[in-house]
Amino acid sequence: MINSLFVVNGQGKIIIEKHWRSIISRQIVDVFSDESAKFLASGPINHTASNSDKNAKEVSFTKEDVPPILETSKYLLLHVLRDGLVWLCPVDKEVDPLLVFEMIHRIIDILVDYLGDVSEVSIRDNFVIVYQLLEEMMDYGYPLTTEPNALKQIILPPTIMNKVMNTVVAASGVGQKLPQSTMSSIPWRKAGVKYAQNEIYFDIIEEIDATIEANGAIVSCEAHGTVNVNCRLSGMPDLALNFINHRILDDVSFHPCVRYQKWESDKVLSFVPPDGHFSLMSYRVNLPPQQLLPLHVKPQFYNTATGGKFDISINPRSTDGKPIEKVVVTIPMSKNTTTVNATCNVGQYMYDPVTKSIKWEISKIQVRDRTPMLSGTYSNGSATHETGTTIMLQFQISMYAVSGLKVDTLRLFREGYKPYKGVRSVTKAGKFQIRA
Amino acid sequence: MISKGRDVSEFFPDVVKNVVSQNIEIRKLVYIYLLRYAEQEPDLALLSINTFQKDLGDKNQIIRAMALRVMSGIRVPVISPIVLLGIKKCVADMSPYVRKTAAHAIPKCYSLDPTQEDSLIEIISGLLKDRSAITIGSTIMAFNEVCPTRFDLIHSYYRKLCNMLTDLDEWGQIAVLDLLLRYGRNQFTDPNPNGIKVPKAVTSSNTKNESFYSDSSDEESTEEVEEQSEDEVEDVELDEDHSLLIKSCLPLLQSRNSGVVMAVARIYFHLAPSEEASQLAKPLVRLLRSHRELQYVILTNIATMACSRPYLFHGYLSQFYVRSTDSVFIRNTKLDILTAIVTEQNINSILGELQQYVKSPNKDFVASTIQAIGKCAMTVPETADRCMKGLMKLLKSTNDLVVAESVSVIKRLLQIRGNENTQSIIRLAKLLDKTTVPVARANIFWLVGQYTENISAAAPDILRKGVKGFTDEHDVVKYQILTLSAKLTCLNPSHETISLLNQYVLNLARYDQNYDIRDRARLLRSLTLPYSAQAEKSGSNDDSHVLSSHLKQILLSDKEPPVLESDMQDRTEYTLGSLSMMVKHSLPGYEPIPDYPQEQPDPSVRDVEEDFWNSVGQARIVEQGFGSDSFESRYRDGSGRSPASTAFSSVEARGYNVVHSQTPKAKKNGEDYDLEAFYNDTSEEEEALSSEDSEATTSEEDSEEEDEDEEESEEESDDLDAAAEKRPLRR
Repeated sequence: MINSLFVVNGQGKIIIEKHWRSIISRQIVDVFSDESAKFLASGPINHTASNSDKNAKEVSFTKEDVPPILETSKYLLLHVLRDGLVWLCPVDKEVDPLLVFEMIHRIIDILVDYLGDVSEVSIRDNFVIVYQLLEEMMDYGYPLTTEPNALKQIILPPTIMNKVMNTVVAASGVGQKLPQSTMSSIPWRKAGVKYAQNEIYFDIIEEIDATIEANGAIVSCEAHGTVNVNCRLSGMPDLALNFINHRILDDVSFHPCVRYQKWESDKVLSFVPPDGHFSLMSYRVNLPPQQLLPLHVKPQFYNTATGGKFDISINPRSTDGKPIEKVVVTIPMSKNTTTVNATCNVGQYMYDPVTKSIKWEISKIQVRDRTPMLSGTYSNGSATHETGTTIMLQFQISMYAVSGLKVDTLRLFREGYKPYKGVRSVTKAGKFQIRA
Repeated sequence: MISKGRDVSEFFPDVVKNVVSQNIEIRKLVYIYLLRYAEQEPDLALLSINTFQKDLGDKNQIIRAMALRVMSGIRVPVISPIVLLGIKKCVADMSPYVRKTAAHAIPKCYSLDPTQEDSLIEIISGLLKDRSAITIGSTIMAFNEVCPTRFDLIHSYYRKLCNMLTDLDEWGQIAVLDLLLRYGRNQFTDPNPNGIKVPKAVTSSNTKNESFYSDSSDEESTEEVEEQSEDEVEDVELDEDHSLLIKSCLPLLQSRNSGVVMAVARIYFHLAPSEEASQLAKPLVRLLRSHRELQYVILTNIATMACSRPYLFHGYLSQFYVRSTDSVFIRNTKLDILTAIVTEQNINSILGELQQYVKSPNKDFVASTIQAIGKCAMTVPETADRCMKGLMKLLKSTNDLVVAESVSVIKRLLQIRGNENTQSIIRLAKLLDKTTVPVARANIFWLVGQYTENISAAAPDILRKGVKGFTDEHDVVKYQILTLSAKLTCLNPSHETISLLNQYVLNLARYDQNYDIRDRARLLRSLTLPYSAQAEKSGSNDDSHVLSSHLKQILLSDKEPPVLESDMQDRTEYTLGSLSMMVKHSLPGYEPIPDYPQEQPDPSVRDVEEDFWNSVGQARIVEQGFGSDSFESRYRDGSGRSPASTAFSSVEARGYNVVHSQTPKAKKNGEDYDLEAFYNDTSEEEEALSSEDSEATTSEEDSEEEDEDEEESEEESDDLDAAAEKRPLRR
């Protein structure tokens, strides 16, 4: 199981170390940095070992490319890189790797829930909370309590109110009020929740993952959605959520509160919700190939000996009249590009000479607007040019679900009040790539 | 300070004094400190034990749990009897949270003092009786740690575990699934107790099926055959339990926790009939959208599965297409999967996709793509031509790595295809003028030498070119030029120019800086030169003749085309989803899943309490959706808080038994049963009840729900008997 956890910042300094079983020396972090540095330096794995070294240096690895499982003589280093922090678990015994990774991510998620964001600063500011959480979430390397609702009963989140209370209490020397002693019988929901106004909001967020050839042919295309809920309901409500068109859902996964059997038999989401924010379900929808994507990007590159021309146009398609917002087109240029000159008729573009990429931002595209275009020239330092850039696209369409998923009804049982219900949907670009 | 890595153990006594502090916050911090340093100061740590023992009697369950946790976490062997006492006390606690902590404390105590094993196992078997879903997961974790092979303890709870699976917390699910997998491999067999009587053919196909899963025939069918051949009751029993396991983990494939999904996949892969296994592909593919570390692990697992059962993933081809933002390790694993699931049907789309990757600016990736193309071409020989063409185009690339890679792949392909590749070799030979990459050049020279019979016209000229630049070549190339010249000499012993070239090259090599090359030259000289000398003199030296007669065989024997092996291949021997599989060697603590036993263990061991557990379980499946409700009620039963719990549970059991006996009817009714009406009725009833209810239990809500549960169970039976309207009358 998980023996120890180290949180290491970008400079290789340990921010947090926590041992659930025996103590593993801090040296392990140095070993880890050495190993990953070795990996970074090794460059691409040279399949033909006798090849000259010059070739090997051409591609450099980034930190993201270090495989999550590194092998050293004694320990296996399982690590997660998230938001610039490395969460490292040295393991010397057989363990389910998914359990380790899933647990680390869960810890981070909980910390995000408690602290707002997880960074070196926020962790240092809340050492006490973080250590308490780590203590509570794992016991002897086994996950103990991981439901945010249950945790919040044991450890109070660091709100301003709590801080004030703490200082006052500590100063007066009076024993602090203990957390409620009755724990809810459902692990994911607190007992005795009370709200003056009972509300529940559903956010349907869909992300389109698509890969498109330069000629417009769709290589792969699908939508991934999550239903996020903000639940502010009193007592122990029992909810049943119906979808108008559940058939389009190809594959679903649920929060543990959802009753599987009910879904299997009636396609109704029946659940007792946790309090506060949670992600109720996530699903995948295969978009039919004939379905038009909200945007069509047409890139054209003409290479010459010392550079070339490019032309990129975006054609908005039908989105039920909803505007497409926050469009960002990222065009990575080849490594030896020296200068880029371009003009665009909508939005603004920026060329970053360090990452060698063009970023073109358009705040809003309406269907009836004229077609946004970006065109320009670039020059290469050397005559060699490489083909095969992949343009990344981001956008967002509010109040629109590309899969067409719609909530039909939400019914509430076991509680007497009438809650206020709200549903909102957003479509975003996930990994939307166009090969040029 | 702890996180700064400084040793703060010198403050130990001062800190430990604070353990009695009233402020819970401070106490928690002291606990953390204690756990960290107790090992270094065992004597002083003992001071705090008293406080913990006092805390164990606290009325707040959180305090009780924490006290036990810290006490068991202090790694001082002396206190192990005290810890054991503490565990024993907490196991009987009425709060499931405390019991859960007690379960967690068991492995701690075990590692502290392994001699306590017997009493710990006793505690575990006591905890297995627990009816709370909260504790069971932790109990199983303890079981896995302390006595992973004591399956005799599990027998009577097997069905309960299966039925409770959906109610457990995610981590508990992983532990239980792991246990059930091992249990299943231990307890369910194909060769039944009556295996001898079964016709031999059936048994053999059965075992084969079990071990490889590649057969289309599945276990069920064989079992049916067996059932037909002898009407044994045990057979039916076995079938039920085995399929119960498989059926009850199915919903967990929809868990949000990838660990759970993988654990289920593991069961389906290692324990289920091969037909059922197809269900695991879709959820696994879904997980590919999560964090990249998880992605990596899952992809590796998929790759392993794809090696033995590629058909599972044929439908999800486009999921494994590489995105430009993928990290290196993900890209490579995806390529591995793509090559593993290649078939004649999908080869076109895969090749098209691979050819896109070749354009990528990342040359390392291109190189591995070229490898992948080679693998595809080998799996589906019909497309080799197309692959060749694509690869030939790549030879024009300016990047050395790409050229080298494609040449070596082409070489491999040519070798496989044998003798019909004159054109390609000549084209490759033309490249010699342009290519500078040593490996590529070496490969070309080797090819020319190997197939020199086919291109006898061009070969001497190629040799001439090679010899011309011999001194400037890389060592690898020099070897190949030497070999080529030797081969040519051997084939055309009478050819004047060639033997001159040969001698020239050998002389050059003789004075090479590299001793390996000098050695090689010496060897080849002795092989070839006497030969040519003899040819001139037409002498009859027997010794050298023997050698020279075999010369052709030595130099030009058909080389075996290299067999391509995916690195995933050697992973298949490890259990799916284990860390050992990821790193390809077994780690300490790794145990391969046991083989199916040769003899059928007695299936009746699981029949203990069968009526009860079975009925509850069955009812829950029929009940569909009250999973958490029934679990609540069970928790309350287990906690023993309500005096009516036993009576209630018997009601529950009876009520469910009715359901059980009428399952088919229930299903039918369930479909046209108006759910909303049912719910509304319930809540009305509930209100009525709660107003009547003056019983002073711990919380009103609890009793309310309990009543409701009771009602639900009754209601279920009501619905079955007749329409729902009848119920109020009865009330």
